[in-house]
Amino acid sequence: MATRSGFERWYPEALKKLGTYTVFDLIIKYIKEGRITLDKSKFDMLITYHDPCHYGRKAEKLFGHGYFEEPRWILDQCVENWVDLYPARDNQICCGGGGGALTTGYNQERIYYGRKKMEQIKATGATMIVVPCDSCHSQLNNLKKEYEMDNLQVKYLWELVADCLI
Amino acid sequence: MSNTSEKFLINLLDHGCFKSWTFSQDVCLTCGICSSCCPASGIDGFDPRKLVRMVALGLQDEVVEARWPWICTICAKCENVCPMDIDISNIVRRVRSLRDRDRVPGVLQKGVEMALKTGNILGLPKEDFIFIVEDVAAELAEEPGFEEFKVPIDKKGANILCTIHNKLVNTHTEDLKHWWKIFYAAGEDWTISSDYWEGCNWGYFTGDDMASKTMVGRIAENLKKLEIKNFLWCE
Repeated sequence: MATRSGFERWYPEALKKLGTYTVFDLIIKYIKEGRITLDKSKFDMLITYHDPCHYGRKAEKLFGHGYFEEPRWILDQCVENWVDLYPARDNQICCGGGGGALTTGYNQERIYYGRKKMEQIKATGATMIVVPCDSCHSQLNNLKKEYEMDNLQVKYLWELVADCLI
Repeated sequence: MSNTSEKFLINLLDHGCFKSWTFSQDVCLTCGICSSCCPASGIDGFDPRKLVRMVALGLQDEVVEARWPWICTICAKCENVCPMDIDISNIVRRVRSLRDRDRVPGVLQKGVEMALKTGNILGLPKEDFIFIVEDVAAELAEEPGFEEFKVPIDKKGANILCTIHNKLVNTHTEDLKHWWKIFYAAGEDWTISSDYWEGCNWGYFTGDDMASKTMVGRIAENLKKLEIKNFLWCE
């Protein structure tokens, strides 16, 4: 997000000659063009999805489009059994790993911050959470130890796609 | 209170540098919806409303010295629900920018300086970067179905270039393989760059727009140099 908004703010001329993809658009393109094929039977456990702030709310504000539908469409292509967190999409709750929180050293506060996210995940009963963000991935993996949720699998969206490749 | 003393009290307020800020901080209705939805409300006795009010009142030293603007994750939930559309994310980033750089918490500032100096937050030399990605690529080529896999580094004219999160060439190299598997399966003409390969931009977190601009500018220059057709926003 920082790179994309930086391009738009400071180097808009570079974007005139350059095409761009978000992670979602590219995966969707590959699936729709038949360039990758996915096996929906690989994961049968209950799965849930976390909307990262910067692909959702912040993208909506900065770029005029929040990526809410795209990751859900991709999930539909990968697995049969997934549910949304509540609340989700532009009302989602941040996991607590954004804004540099993983690097400030305020770890107790960061873990406390994540309590709402973990409550949301627990409430679904899911044993896997899928995320399309490096910071969320680190934070959720870190939180599961703190909230006695060691069995929760944290998976990148593109990892799920790669795992389901035929 | 008489009119005279009211005037006197108002004159005591010095809005300092906040006066010129255009984040609508002055139109706060103090409704507190922002604070109700913020998971960091209460930490250090702070919450988004308090921050906005302190900025509106010009309490610069108190705000800049507080830990809270660095505990906030800039998730924008507060501004999403704000009925007055106050730009709270940018208030937090600007407040962070006012901290002395040697008092930025944690490893953030070191990372920014390292990225400016060496091209990446880790200060990873180019030859080490190439060694790591080629090593992981060789591992992937041992997996069934990926026997022909090679990592294309600095491939001129490639259809797609993607950046890499620093943890993927540090503590989590296994996670490099997911996108690589997808590219391989899709028959994509892709590449990574051995210069300015990093997609993270910690200048965003420290409120350092100049550092941010430099890092983005390097990526832009590099894409041009390599004649890349499409850029994948990886972060």
